[in-house]
Formats: sequence, structure tokens, C-alpha cells
Amino acid sequence: MRIGLLTEGGYPYVGGDTGLWCDRLVRGLGQHEFDVYALESGRQQEGDGWVPIPPQVRRVRTARPWAAGDDGAPLGRRGRRRFTEYYGELLGAVCAPQEGSAAEVADRFGNALYSLAELARDTGALTGALRSDHAVTALERACRAPGAPRAAHEARVPDLLAVTDHLARALCPLSLGWYGEDALAAVDLCHATSGGSAALPGLLARHFSGVPLLVTEYGVQLRAHYLALGPDSAAPAVRALLAAFHGRLAAEVYRRAEILTPGSSHARRWQERCGADRARIRTVHPGMDADRFAEVGEAPECAEAGTLVWVGRIEPGRDLVALLHAFAEVRKEEPHARLRIVGVPVGAEGEAYLAQCRALAAQLFPDEAEGLHAVGDNPVSFTEVGAPEAPTLPDAYAAGAVVVLSSVVEGFPVSLAEAMFCGRATVSTDVGAVVEVIGGTGLVVPPRNPRALAEACVALLRDPERRARLGAAARARALELFGVEQNIAAFHGIYLEIMSHCPVRRVAVDEAGEPLPFAVPAEAHVPGRWTVPTLLRGSPAPVRAGAEGVR
Amino acid sequence: MRGVDRTGAGAVAASGASGTSGAETAPRRGAVDPVKALLHRHRELCERAVDPLEIAAGLEAHGFTDRSAARYRHRDVFSLAEELYARVPRDADPAPEPTFGPAPRIRTGWVLLTLLPGAVASGTVAGLRLGPGTARPLVALGGLLAVILAVRAALGRGPLAARPGAAPRPSAPVWTVCLLGYALLGDGLLDAVVSGGPDALPTGSPDGPWPAATAPVVALALACAPAAWCAHLLDLGARRRLAGSRGLEDFTSGARPLLLGVVALYLAALTGLLALTGAVLHEDPAYPQALTLGALLFLARLLTAHRHRHAPAVILGAAAAAEVAAPALVLSGRLPDCGFLAVPVTTPVDPLGVGAIPTLSCGCAALVLLAHALRTLTRASAHAPVGGPE
Repeated sequence: MRIGLLTEGGYPYVGGDTGLWCDRLVRGLGQHEFDVYALESGRQQEGDGWVPIPPQVRRVRTARPWAAGDDGAPLGRRGRRRFTEYYGELLGAVCAPQEGSAAEVADRFGNALYSLAELARDTGALTGALRSDHAVTALERACRAPGAPRAAHEARVPDLLAVTDHLARALCPLSLGWYGEDALAAVDLCHATSGGSAALPGLLARHFSGVPLLVTEYGVQLRAHYLALGPDSAAPAVRALLAAFHGRLAAEVYRRAEILTPGSSHARRWQERCGADRARIRTVHPGMDADRFAEVGEAPECAEAGTLVWVGRIEPGRDLVALLHAFAEVRKEEPHARLRIVGVPVGAEGEAYLAQCRALAAQLFPDEAEGLHAVGDNPVSFTEVGAPEAPTLPDAYAAGAVVVLSSVVEGFPVSLAEAMFCGRATVSTDVGAVVEVIGGTGLVVPPRNPRALAEACVALLRDPERRARLGAAARARALELFGVEQNIAAFHGIYLEIMSHCPVRRVAVDEAGEPLPFAVPAEAHVPGRWTVPTLLRGSPAPVRAGAEGVR
Repeated sequence: MRGVDRTGAGAVAASGASGTSGAETAPRRGAVDPVKALLHRHRELCERAVDPLEIAAGLEAHGFTDRSAARYRHRDVFSLAEELYARVPRDADPAPEPTFGPAPRIRTGWVLLTLLPGAVASGTVAGLRLGPGTARPLVALGGLLAVILAVRAALGRGPLAARPGAAPRPSAPVWTVCLLGYALLGDGLLDAVVSGGPDALPTGSPDGPWPAATAPVVALALACAPAAWCAHLLDLGARRRLAGSRGLEDFTSGARPLLLGVVALYLAALTGLLALTGAVLHEDPAYPQALTLGALLFLARLLTAHRHRHAPAVILGAAAAAEVAAPALVLSGRLPDCGFLAVPVTTPVDPLGVGAIPTLSCGCAALVLLAHALRTLTRASAHAPVGGPE
């Protein structure tokens, strides 16, 4: 099978968001061929280079939506007229009133999108037209149309320009030459590794050549857009228009995708909310390498009693301040408790946050020593993976009797899953997919509640038996649900499911371009669903209803 | 999902009393309407949100889950966000002043670089005038190359630099060099050709059988600096009008006088420089030829800088072709029975002098480009900043 793997800012670039997961997927499914189509996410990625590419990846094609680049040849008069019509229709769907019929708006948006794609295919490039004055004028007309949202009505010229620029970047996949017979038209299945712009080539391949689309979302792209375009980043009109555009695009992707695989039930809820059909969603948890945690996980006795460990990337959303306050409460009950914070700060904001946390720790906990003549140290230590106390990531977890997670924002809690692999008892805040990941194998407290966090930690610190029980259960659960093998097996199954339900129908042709009769065996195209007796489908027999359900 | 919920709640209960007591106190504080208290706490988020999903995303970023939404008697965060979005008063919020990124800055780099072509050209002319006669060809050649490189450097940065986005046209610099070459030597050549010559190669001096007009060229090189400042003024004015205008029509009507004013300012500066170089070098400043050429080059550069590269390349090519064709036509008119070929050139040259050819060709080209610029550079899309919010 040939899989078209569509990525945005991830694989095959070093340090991409989804890079590790894609790499494992591609290596784990060596029996398939992969064509990687990557959208670069920013200028710095260009210099980062690629990860080593395994041989099953037959080709890698990249594009740079962020680069203004070559505008290409300008459209002719006819092309301009078509462009204005389709783009106006697209923007009309974006600015359509909220209370209108959702299906009708989705149809309008989809039709306009595919018409634009056909125009791009006919004329070569749309990049210039998407930034041209015609585009800005069409946007102004759509904003001033009756029924447009109030925020759009108030759009001023700079807002129009900003939205046009953003849309030109988001719609960049329309004008890529990826849909020919030698590219996406030749694959059996498109697998988009995130929603939004990355799934757009898949939508177009589906439109042009009927290639089925599978969309995997570990973090919901639409939600990320809402968070990135916060109130301070742009004018209300820009935010309203872009939010509407990305909402419509997400709805179109969810509507057209054959199967959606969210990474957690949190992502699943967002997808369902945006119009995804429940029957086509399969939650596939991200897989993690269990082997490197095996040694630590099988030796629960190496934990230091009375030590709490926090592991993760240091940023304000992780709420280390609450953790430190909770630890102050823990110290009142358990004077010998220690806290290890292992992690690296993310960006300048993270650096500042780390400095703030260090200062707070120094303020809350004075250095203390064994006796009068010993050198004291702080019960809270800040280290990184690789430091002498924690040479590797499993070692960082190994030291803790209890692993704590204090985030207020979390997608899929990777550090929690790693702690589970290590067989450690955990206390975490109830955010994101935490409850779903932990099941019943750890304690969960409300976020922003240091006292509850402290009480849960004390309860576990005082009860080694419970700790061991929870740790063992957590490890068993993690091995069952979050291993790499399970992840890859799930995708393998989904690939085969898609192939069996909606194979690409291609007409085989010979060298002269004439159709070859009997090139494809006839039984591959039995009309209807041959796993269920078609004639008996309507009958109310309970056995058959069961068969429907299984299908 | 339900089962998972219960597990979480059970774990909370097992962790101690405070977790559950916190959950009970939150609604009590808000008396009968807990959502009102929530609305008050997240007032800014709710008031500035553009749709309910944004409130949902924001609430989740504050640690809200479906379990916490249940405390507000909602099934999930989405329906809670919808209620908040519906209930928040949003009539009173004033539209914020539009912000338009940082203004283009005046950097020493481009300010100094725009002075470079003028300095190099003046130095070359001084070398030609004052240096020994034997070194003149070398000085002239080196000076020409240095001026070309200096102009290239000056146009690489600052407000005259081409913004990324359009395919570069390699022909445009070639035509520019042709036009400048004609301004330097063309009038002398045409004069000599019309009167039967040329009999000698140019020496680089204003007097002789094939005189070189150095004053206009030096003035044009010096005019790189005012050109950059004028382009900067255009950018500043365009940004101000962009921020202030309500619609695209509004912007266009405001930008037209701005563009005309900038071109007029540049021509005024060029006139001053021509007068100065003419006086210093004791030469005829050749105002009509130099002013039309200056206007043509300035407009071509403005268009190129604003991502309209196609029209300037074509028009510059046409003007250069017209100028080069003039002496060629006169020369071919000397062939037997081909005298009619010289008629298009001699018709304007006889009454108006040899300066009529560059004045006419550059003037027509500049007018065409001005019309084009009035159509394209007055549109908002030409002044769009590179790189929007992301």
C-alpha cells in the first residue's frame, strides 16, 4: 500500500511537533510505502534539517507556506473573473451568519474551496491572486455583506490585509503541484498528521482522485488557533474572520475524512463538537517506547522514600507555583519530604517562570542541614535530565516515590504516561486527558488547588503499600494502552479498514493511454457491501442487527 | 467517558476531604446563579471572545473540564461556553484603535548606502577631470563598475529594496544600465551621427567630437538618497492612511495625492541636484532628458519595491529600445534608398535638438508608469505588511 503522509511543521524535520510519532509509525509499518508531503512551519525549520529517512519512505516533498516566494504568472482576465467568483463564495461561506444552516454553509465552503483548487490546477498558481487586490476587495465585500458577523462589519483596511495574508498562507496547499498522477493521485490513502492546513492536500486529493483521507489529531488544530490568536494578538475582526475560516475548514476536514483518529477523548470531544461523525472516530492513544522504562518499572524498590518528583517542560501552564505551595503543606505533615523538579524551560517565558519558581522555592524553604557542622541544601531541587542526579529520563522518575503533575493546561500528559510506565504512583490535576490516561491507577485532584494536591501527596507518602499497588496497576495499564506496538497496530488496522471499505478506483491504462480491460480483477469491485446479505438488510432479525453493529 | 469521570471523582474523594469540599463551596459563593460568578471572573475572556468555541478554549486553558462544567449544571464545557457567550453584554465595548505593526525604521545602514552611488560618481568625475590623461580610460571603467555596484547595494536595503513576493526580472537592471548609458553618451552620439560622424571615440570630457554628459548622470546618482527618502515618506504616509481609512475606496482616494506628491518632491530634489552638478561641472544640466529619465527610474523602482515587477521591466525595455533605435535608424538611413528610415528621428530632432529623443521616450514611458502606479500603488494590497499575525 502507498500511504501519502501529510505533515505540517513535523516529520521529517528535526524537532517537529509530531516528528517522533511519525518516525515510529513509518518505521513500524515497513510493509507499506510512504510518500511524505510536508508543509514547513517556519523559517527556522529550514536550517534544522531532516531526521534520517528509512527506505520505505520513497519520496519527500516540501512546501513553504510562510514564504512570500514567487507569485507566479498573473491570472488572465477569465482566470481573474473565476477567482473573484470562487474566492468571494468562499468568503461568503466564512462570513455566513451563525444561525444559518450548518450543512448548507459547509457545502458552500467546500464547493468554493474545490473550485479554487480546480482553478489553481488549471492556471498553474494562485499564490499571487490570493494576495492581490482582487482578494482584498472580495474580502471587503464579504465583510460588508448583510448577515456577516458584527466584528467582520467593523473590519478596517489593516484587518482586511492581515486576514488576506493569513488566508493566502493557509490556502497555499491549493497551488502546490501535489495532485498529479505522479504524486498524491497515485497513493492509496492520505494520512494527515494534523487537521487544518496539513489536511488540506488530503481533501484536494480526495476531491481530484478519490483518495480516502485519514486524519490524526493529537492536539486539535482549531483549539490551537483559538489559543494562538488570543485577544491581544490581533483586532477582533481579524480574530473573528480567521476563527470562522478555521472552523469551516475543520468542519470540512472532519466531514470528508474517512476516519478520524484523535489522540485522546479530549480531542475527540472537540472533533465531535465541530461536526465529526461519531461513527467514524477511533481514539488512538499516542504510543511511547516502553522498553527504556522497563528496568525502572520492574524495580519499584529503588525509589527514595519521601521524594516527590515532577518531570516536564517548564512553562507557566504547568503551574509549578501551586506545586511549591502544595509542597509547603506536605512539609508540615512530613518534615523529611523532598521535591525534585526535573525539566528544561521552554522559551524566554519559561526561563522567566523558572527563575520565579526558584525564587519562590528559596523563600518558602530555607536550606537545611543534618547537623550543626554539615553543609545544608534546599529540600526543593531544580535539575535537568542529564545532570548527575538524573542521568536519563527513567532515572529521573526512578528517584521519586510519588510523581506529581500540577498542570492547569495539558493535552495528552506525556510525563504522566511515562511515570505510569515506570510503575510510580502519581498525583495529578484533573486537566486535559489526565483522567482518561490515569484510569483508576493514581490520584486526581482539581487544578489550582494546592491543598488538595498536598493532601493526596501526603496520603501516598504515608502508605507505601498503596503506592506499590497503584504503581503496579499504572504500569500494567500503560503497557496495555500506550505502547508503541499498540499505536502502530491500531494504525495498521485502520489502514486496512479504509482500504477494504473505500479503495481508490483507478482505470488501468497502457502506455498509449488507452484503458486496459480486465487489468483489475472484477471481484475487487463487487457493488454494494458483500459482507452483509443485501437482500435481507431491512429485516428486523436481531442477529443481523448485531452484524450491522460489528461492521 | 462516564466511567472515567467516576474513577476521577472517586480518586478525588479518596485523596482527602478538601478536594471535595472545594467543589462544594464554588457554587455556594455565587448564590443561585453560579454562572454569573464565573462570568464575572472571566469577564475579559468572555467579552473579547469572537465565538463560543473561543470561550471554551480559554476556559480549558484555565483548567476547566467537563467535570467542572457539571458544577455549573452544564453537560460539557462547550454548552457552558455557549451560555457565557450568550449572556455577556457586548454592546458597550469600544472598537480598539487599529494597530499596524511597527513603523518602518530609519536605519543608518540604508541612509549611508543611498549616499554611496553619488559619492562614487562624483569621485569618478573628479578623477576624470583632475587625473592625468593616460589614466582616464581606467578611471572611467573602474568608476562605471563602482557606480553600478554602489547602486545595487543602495537598492538592496531600505525603502527602495524589493519586497519578497514577485519573481525577479533580471532584464530590468540591464535596461536601466542602457538608459543611463544613453544619458551619458547618447546625445553626443546622436549629434555626431546626425551631422555625419562619429569620427572619434568618447573621451569622457564635455567638449570634443563625442561629448559625454556627466552632470545629469552624477545628479541621478546623487538622487538615490532623495529617492530613498521619498519612498520612505510614501511608506509612512501609506501606513497612516491604512490605519485611518475605513474602506479600500477610502484608502485609494487618500493615496493618490500622496503618490503624486512624493513623485513631485523627488523631481524637485532632482532639479536642485541637476542645477548643482551643472554649476559645479560647468556643463549643461540637460533638464528635460534628466528629469524624465529620473522620473522613469524612480517610478520603476517604486513599483518594483511594491511587488509589481512586470510592468517596470517591460516599460524600461521599451524606453531603452526606443533610445538605442534612434542612432541606429539614422545610421541605416545612410544606406542607399533607405533614407526614409531616418525620418522618424530627424522629424523631432531637427526642430527640438538631439535631446528630444530621450525626452520623448523617457517622458512617454514615465507617463505610462505613472498611470500604472496610480492604479496599483494606491491599492491597499500594495502596502500590505509582509508577515501577519500567526
